[in-house]
Amino acid sequence: MSPSSAAGKFNVVKCTSAPTATAGAVNLGPGTPVRPTSILVVGATGTLGRQVVRRALDEGYDVRCLVRPRPAPADFLRDWGATVVNADLSKPETIPATLVGIHTIIDCATGRPEEPIKTVDWEGKVALIQCAKAMGIQKYVFFSIHNCDKHPEVPLMEIKYCTEKFLHDSGLNHIIIRLCGFMQGLIGQYAVPILEEKSVWGTDAPTRIAYMDTQDIARLTFIALRNETINGKLLTFAGPRAWTTQEVITLCERLAGQDANVTTVPVTVLRFTRQLTRFFEWTNDVADRLAFSEVLTSDIVFSTPMNDTYQLLGVEAKEIVTLEKYLQDYFTNILKKLKDLKAQSKQTDIYF
Amino acid sequence: MNVDETQTKQKQQQQQQPSVSLSLDDVNPVGLGRKSRQLFDEVWRKFSGLGQISRTTRADDRESLDALLIREGPMCEFAIPGAQNTTVLVVGATSRIGRIVVRKLMLRGYTVKALVRKADEEVVSMLPRSVEVVIGDVGDPETLKSVVEGCNKIIYCATARSTITGDLFRVDHRGVYNLTKAFQDYNNKLAQLRAGKSSKSKLLLAKFKSADSLNGWEARQGTYFQDVVASKYDAGMDAKFEYTETGEAVFSGYVFTRGGYVELSKRLSLPLGRTLDRYEGLVLSVGGNGRSYILILEAGPSADTTQSKLYFARFTTKVGFCRARVPFSSFRPVKPDDPPLDPFLVHTLTIRFEPRRQRLEGPTAVKQDLRSFKLKLEYIKAFPTGQETDFVLVSCTGLGIESTRREQVLKAKRAGEESLKISGLGYTIIRPGPLKEEPGGQRALIFDQGNRISQGISCADVADICVKALHDSTARNKSFDVCYEYVAEQGRELYELVAHLPDKANNYLTPALSVLEKNT
Repeated sequence: MSPSSAAGKFNVVKCTSAPTATAGAVNLGPGTPVRPTSILVVGATGTLGRQVVRRALDEGYDVRCLVRPRPAPADFLRDWGATVVNADLSKPETIPATLVGIHTIIDCATGRPEEPIKTVDWEGKVALIQCAKAMGIQKYVFFSIHNCDKHPEVPLMEIKYCTEKFLHDSGLNHIIIRLCGFMQGLIGQYAVPILEEKSVWGTDAPTRIAYMDTQDIARLTFIALRNETINGKLLTFAGPRAWTTQEVITLCERLAGQDANVTTVPVTVLRFTRQLTRFFEWTNDVADRLAFSEVLTSDIVFSTPMNDTYQLLGVEAKEIVTLEKYLQDYFTNILKKLKDLKAQSKQTDIYF
Repeated sequence: MNVDETQTKQKQQQQQQPSVSLSLDDVNPVGLGRKSRQLFDEVWRKFSGLGQISRTTRADDRESLDALLIREGPMCEFAIPGAQNTTVLVVGATSRIGRIVVRKLMLRGYTVKALVRKADEEVVSMLPRSVEVVIGDVGDPETLKSVVEGCNKIIYCATARSTITGDLFRVDHRGVYNLTKAFQDYNNKLAQLRAGKSSKSKLLLAKFKSADSLNGWEARQGTYFQDVVASKYDAGMDAKFEYTETGEAVFSGYVFTRGGYVELSKRLSLPLGRTLDRYEGLVLSVGGNGRSYILILEAGPSADTTQSKLYFARFTTKVGFCRARVPFSSFRPVKPDDPPLDPFLVHTLTIRFEPRRQRLEGPTAVKQDLRSFKLKLEYIKAFPTGQETDFVLVSCTGLGIESTRREQVLKAKRAGEESLKISGLGYTIIRPGPLKEEPGGQRALIFDQGNRISQGISCADVADICVKALHDSTARNKSFDVCYEYVAEQGRELYELVAHLPDKANNYLTPALSVLEKNT
């Protein structure tokens, strides 16, 4: 199944589109045409996936979510009105059944940090794309990472880049969307620790990332999806402005009205740790997770001018949420909520 | 609330922890080992997290955060402030529009009840799991009593599965009637529990059910011409108001005099504490045989009738009994300089017949003398004002229905609309063009009144209008047609573009509806 050499060093991923044993390539003949409103979202429980599902439901699509079987099922997807089907990308035989009657696949899956990156992000994707091709899926939307072609030393980015190429070579009607960073990620990373007066870990890296609200990403995705002229193109979605870690922390401090307890880790330490962990097989996963430090040491900017994309999609720049606005909303709401909680807990004190 | 509770609990636990200074656990080597391990894990997690572009937080706190702010909370782009405490009954929840309506309501945090006839596995699996499935049939009033319990608003997107007249009558006509009635009964029941009257119920001004009920009504006659010449054309007129043996209150007579009229008038006596300013118009149940009548309201300080000002509105009747809905906003002052009608000051109600401007249609029209009339009266009620719509009805324009059945379908739909309009509930009637199965929000929409639309519309857009109308005061008591914008050749545009592509912050409905007429 694996098109790559299964060795200890697994950042050697060969980009060959050798269609190995795909699960029973069923070509559903010219039967009932699938409705263009039926879509399958892969990775629907993720940060971006859930926004995609919600947006799709609101726009009137029939949404099927491919979710890994697990003890705690993704209830919220069903509550919104999506259909949930169980399948595991690492088990290709479970895939074909989920694709019956589907017009478009939106793929927002990325492996979880705790599992080996190759299973879902490469082997799983290859199986999914081959299966989609075999079953005549009419459009495939793939979310990738900005600049992934420039950093083959980072396994996740290399895998994304290879998947892009694989998808392109597969001949499927597709759109590739490269993303920079999610605003939602910053909440857990900086906003919450600052409010809880815990220490915030940051690096002194000069890397800038143009964070974007996942709700905006989902909205633009569907505009792109319906635009026939965008077929086969590569789009990059970036937020309105690129931020360094230090800038984000400063912004959070200002909005929260309290100073953060920042622990700055020099990038060189991260880099060193990665080099060290790469020597041992059992710490390889760790090494891979730290791989971004390679990227972070450079003063690279994860951003791209969006004017052309906006024009292509017919969107106005002012409709895209800025990080200031997003975090401000968050802090206004959370501070209000905390105030309410405080008032409540004081009340309960009387009774105890 | 659950999230709040758990959070408070966690906080309390955190507060309690430091107070326990030394326990056995603290000196237990296994416990110490575990603690140091936890500490290390935490540090390591943060450390390794640094090497990510956008990282995901741990599953547990992500869940609670999401629930708090992003999924239902104010940071969700779909969240609506009023949704938390609103229960919406969706009738026809598995229909093309209904399915999307239910999903949209769920995304916005409403509590949703879905009315189904049978709770089949197949039907229930089409609905989101947290929707409350209630079993009932709009054709059977008894089953609806329990269905409407606890509901604040109703969205009716059911339609007959066939165009058989019986089905149409049951679902599109009587179905709407039954449900409005059940809903009004429920509102009244609730109000009675609070020892009051439902703010949604109508106010009875007059009910003609016995001979006594005619007391206070006075039949009069007059002419518009005050000069001497008029008397030349005086061919006589007469009118009487009587209670017949068959139990009907009948106002009848003839007007042969040119410029003459006869009228029936009464000084209103409202129940204590009631004023008409909390009402929006009048509903009359009458049998007028197709004649048109003029309603005249006299308004002014009740102590001094010389200062009263007169306001009039015309209503037409149909053959047989019908209910006429006359909103106060349609009354015009008799003297053009007078201020608009203030319902608070209304003290006298008059129904006037005059031979002028009588127009009859149909085969019976020829044989009748337009100068004579017979008006059977059943009741006069006032329907209440309100902020929001209570009942959203998805009707149709008749486009796209096969022409042989179009008339039957429209007849049933219009009858259903009528029964909703006179129910006293705040209503929004949406008449979409032919429905299309495509994603919504793609094309500009045209909102129009007067049967002029020509285009289709996606189900998702209709669903969006239904949901937006729930809390939009401009949508109350309006009926309108809606379809995609007609893309005409340059220079041949028929309509002005009133709506824009809906997006996150753009409420297209309010500006589009505010230019349309109310009470239509």
